[in-house]
Amino acid sequence: MDKKLIFEKGSEGRKNSYVKKPSFDIVEPNQIIPEKFLRQDLPLPSLGEFEVVRHYTNLANLNFSLDANFYPLGSCTMKYNPKVNEELASLDGFIKLHPYQREDTIQGALELIYSLEDILCEITGMKKFTFQASSGAQGEFIGMAIIKKYHDSKGSRRSKVIVPDSSHGTNPATAALCGYDVVVVDSNDKGLVDLDKLAKLVDDDTAAIMLTNPNTLGLFEENICQISELIHKKGGLLYYDGANFNPLLGITNPVLMGFDVMHLNFHKTFSTPHGCGGPGAGAVGVVPELVDFLPIPVVAKKNNKFYFDYKIKHTIGRVRSFYGNFSVLIKAYVYLLMLGKEGLLRVAQNSVINANYIKEKLKGHYSLAYNSRCMHEVVFSCDKQKEKGVSALDISKRLLDYKIHPPTMYFPLIVKEALMVEPTETESKDTLDYFIKVMIEIDKEINQNPDKLKNSPHTMPVKRVNEVAAARFPNLKYTYEK
Amino acid sequence: MDGMKYTKSHEWVKIENGVAVIGITDYAKDQLGDVVFIELPDVGQRVVKSSQLGTVESTKTASEIYTPLTGEVIAVNDGLVDNPQWVNESPFEKGWMVKIKLSDENQLNDLLDEGAYKEFVSKEKH
Amino acid sequence: MPYVLNTKKEIKELLREIGVNSVDELYEQLPARLKFGAPLDLPHGFSEHQVRKRVKALSNKNVSLEEVNSFLGAGCYDHYIPSAFSFLLNQSQFLTAYTSYQAESSQGILQAIYEYQSYICFLTGTDISNASLFDGASSFAEAVLMSLRIKRKKKVIVSEAIHPEYRETLKTYLSGFDFDIKEATCNKEGFVDQEWLNKNIDEEVGCFAFSSPNFFGLIEDGVKLSSLVKEKGVLTVMVTNPFSLAIFKDPAALGVDIVCGDGQVLGGNVSLGGPSFGFLAAKERYLRQMPGRIVGKTIDLLGTVAYCLTLQTREQHIRREKATSNICSNQALNAIGAAIYLSLLGKEGFRDMALYSFNLAQYLYQRLGEIKGVNLKYGNRVFNEFVWEVKDAKELINKLYKKKIIAGLYLGDKYPRMDNCILSCCTEKKSKEDIDDFIEEIKENMD
Repeated sequence: MDKKLIFEKGSEGRKNSYVKKPSFDIVEPNQIIPEKFLRQDLPLPSLGEFEVVRHYTNLANLNFSLDANFYPLGSCTMKYNPKVNEELASLDGFIKLHPYQREDTIQGALELIYSLEDILCEITGMKKFTFQASSGAQGEFIGMAIIKKYHDSKGSRRSKVIVPDSSHGTNPATAALCGYDVVVVDSNDKGLVDLDKLAKLVDDDTAAIMLTNPNTLGLFEENICQISELIHKKGGLLYYDGANFNPLLGITNPVLMGFDVMHLNFHKTFSTPHGCGGPGAGAVGVVPELVDFLPIPVVAKKNNKFYFDYKIKHTIGRVRSFYGNFSVLIKAYVYLLMLGKEGLLRVAQNSVINANYIKEKLKGHYSLAYNSRCMHEVVFSCDKQKEKGVSALDISKRLLDYKIHPPTMYFPLIVKEALMVEPTETESKDTLDYFIKVMIEIDKEINQNPDKLKNSPHTMPVKRVNEVAAARFPNLKYTYEK
Repeated sequence: MDGMKYTKSHEWVKIENGVAVIGITDYAKDQLGDVVFIELPDVGQRVVKSSQLGTVESTKTASEIYTPLTGEVIAVNDGLVDNPQWVNESPFEKGWMVKIKLSDENQLNDLLDEGAYKEFVSKEKH
Repeated sequence: MPYVLNTKKEIKELLREIGVNSVDELYEQLPARLKFGAPLDLPHGFSEHQVRKRVKALSNKNVSLEEVNSFLGAGCYDHYIPSAFSFLLNQSQFLTAYTSYQAESSQGILQAIYEYQSYICFLTGTDISNASLFDGASSFAEAVLMSLRIKRKKKVIVSEAIHPEYRETLKTYLSGFDFDIKEATCNKEGFVDQEWLNKNIDEEVGCFAFSSPNFFGLIEDGVKLSSLVKEKGVLTVMVTNPFSLAIFKDPAALGVDIVCGDGQVLGGNVSLGGPSFGFLAAKERYLRQMPGRIVGKTIDLLGTVAYCLTLQTREQHIRREKATSNICSNQALNAIGAAIYLSLLGKEGFRDMALYSFNLAQYLYQRLGEIKGVNLKYGNRVFNEFVWEVKDAKELINKLYKKKIIAGLYLGDKYPRMDNCILSCCTEKKSKEDIDDFIEEIKENMD
């Protein structure tokens, strides 16, 4: 296989013809600008279009992707990315809008954002949304900054944010980024927040609790109403991490559960593509009491005209330039129009059906972290397999040979040798059956030929990658030979 | 091992003429996996019992090293910075990390001896 | 029902295998009071045909840059994007792939990001680059946070000629702590006031941040600025437009420690300002404090060259509340796009486009200077945009718009003292004729 980097290709002097020289005599910068401000050497390759096309097409072909492979990745909701989303998001009337154009020339864009907000308010029960966050993590940051400002505005300096031990790492990292001390509440033997322990932790210094529901074990926090009562009684707020909202669409909403702020991941719940890890979008919604704290600007409507509203009384400010990942918003909007109310419910139900089906079929072969009804995802522990010397990592790598992307590994942290499986609603029974068959097959291989697993994958472009060497001797960029 | 003391956070301590040599135990390095990075304190730094001495990282996890004793750092194993694998290869010898001149020898009584540490580890495994 | 493959018959079968009689049973653990009593108050789903009509109608209500003669820049630039670009970037194997945690099935993504990191290092002259962040504003905030971690200081001085929205973002990012942000004023020429800086830098300052080109389009004297603050042990953070680096000296050569900015110019559409990506690059010694993902080159079991995400212990999924940032993704697709874009343009093409932008901006500068009543606010040490002043600027902008000309960004809202100032930009997509038309219309509308 051709392993050359793009910098090792091309030939000095090769170039493409993309733009025309201006029709006047152009000057070199050094005729206007002192030499000391100018660069002498631009170390870029010189390539023809065809070799660039071939290079990146070949690179693309080395990857797994959702369009080609099953991704039962827990907490990531790798559902099908409808193609109509892409087509409509790339219309000139959307992608060729400058953020500083006059508002009367972007009415369609503003209307789209406004309508999207309406739909999200109906789905979640929240009063208002901001679309500034480029990701779930940035959404969390907005949400927690709002919570902080809210307490500040009441003259209440609170220092503590509670997260469950099963939470995603972003939750504590975000709380820390907002200047909070992170306090961890343990899970009980059912995999749910331990109410007694929580009660002991909550006090007048508690700013908020951050929760996903269903939690990262795929279990619905049945005591959510007691939890919210406990927190609210002490003046704290509840943050809803919407990473796992998919199974609840049209069933219930975070406001009913008692949450005050939330974010939704469009690249999870609303089918926008992951793009190897971004761009995504995180919409942040709040209850009426917190509307005055949203980042600026938000889209508003007056006399049938849409506009950016910068007058928000206690705004936390901005978290990025301009208005968010607009293209991603279009995709989510298209998806929501396609689904409608029945479609959303169907999404939720089938995500739960598919996960429970896998759980039933595999629980005889892999230990269940918790044997209760799961929602959209199920967490197995490979503890039995580990006793035979094969780890969750080995099993994951072996799955690649079957053209299946591994489930989320080693998470949540409270489950040993965890594999977290989220099939999503868009997979067929055939695909689920194939996955189940492969997982059982791999379990058998452990007895027959464990080395086959430990040395897997066998059919990928490279064998198992040495991450230790990568970290011990960081090589992070190409260096031209002198 | 002879004269070796241990902590519940899996450091070992060897006393040589009022100086404590500190590293991490076999069990600790097995839990970490291949060590890829080590951060150590500066020589001359005063450290207080139970405070953080440094960090040991593998590709998948990072864990803090704590000093079980109060005193002054008089030497660090500089070679580890370029050869973090020594912690895996030889945790008790080449993999030593820090030498501390003790302020209070009484603190040594709080450490575990080999038998007690082994028992502690076997409990932690289950 | 779109996008769900299970048929009614299959659902029955699945439920039977699960051992329940109905879907409702699967939701039994939800307290009854939480369950909706009625369906959502939303329309039924539309057909794809209907959705296309509706959404196209919305897009038609907008005026795209293709329909006007626009001189807007100010942090978001309309550069030419080759046709091959979107074909390459929108391949399913990039578009619909997940983050490359599984290195063996993501070698293409990882290599492309390694190439991206290399490109950023070549342009900025630095040793290391991460795999990208959200956008220029948040990468600026992350750069400042990084410098404060390195220096363990609480005070930062930022030039007031950094993009106003970047400075606002920084304020939000630092609001959780008792950090102190001070703004360095500019002199009459539009550059950071070095005297002010000299007076205001003290031991408590961890970092000084400036932008070059700055928000007024001007190229700062980076060597002077960074050496001035370095004497006092302060780190320099520079915000830059990577396109300008085709012509102007690389930040590392200026003595800058951390470089950041927005990568929209490298293949991104203007797209109402998002998505783009942020880049962050620095000297090697700051590697452990760098936030975000990083790709490294390594080997596989057999010793073959391979790539993987590396140094992940800095990140939130391992470090949790001790991580360098809460970021858990990057704008991978846009970063890969930047590598593709720079490859397509190549050394000469990239420089040519920068050179044409530069020349067109200089031409516009000169033509505007010929108009009586137009005041060129600052000098012409610029890359592709600059500030000019005219009586009743806001009104002139409105008049010109009636002729389908967007004159640029009115600055009075962002800098009250620049009440009659306009920031205008030329990329290589402008022509001499576009500029001549613009000039004629200004003349016609001035009195």
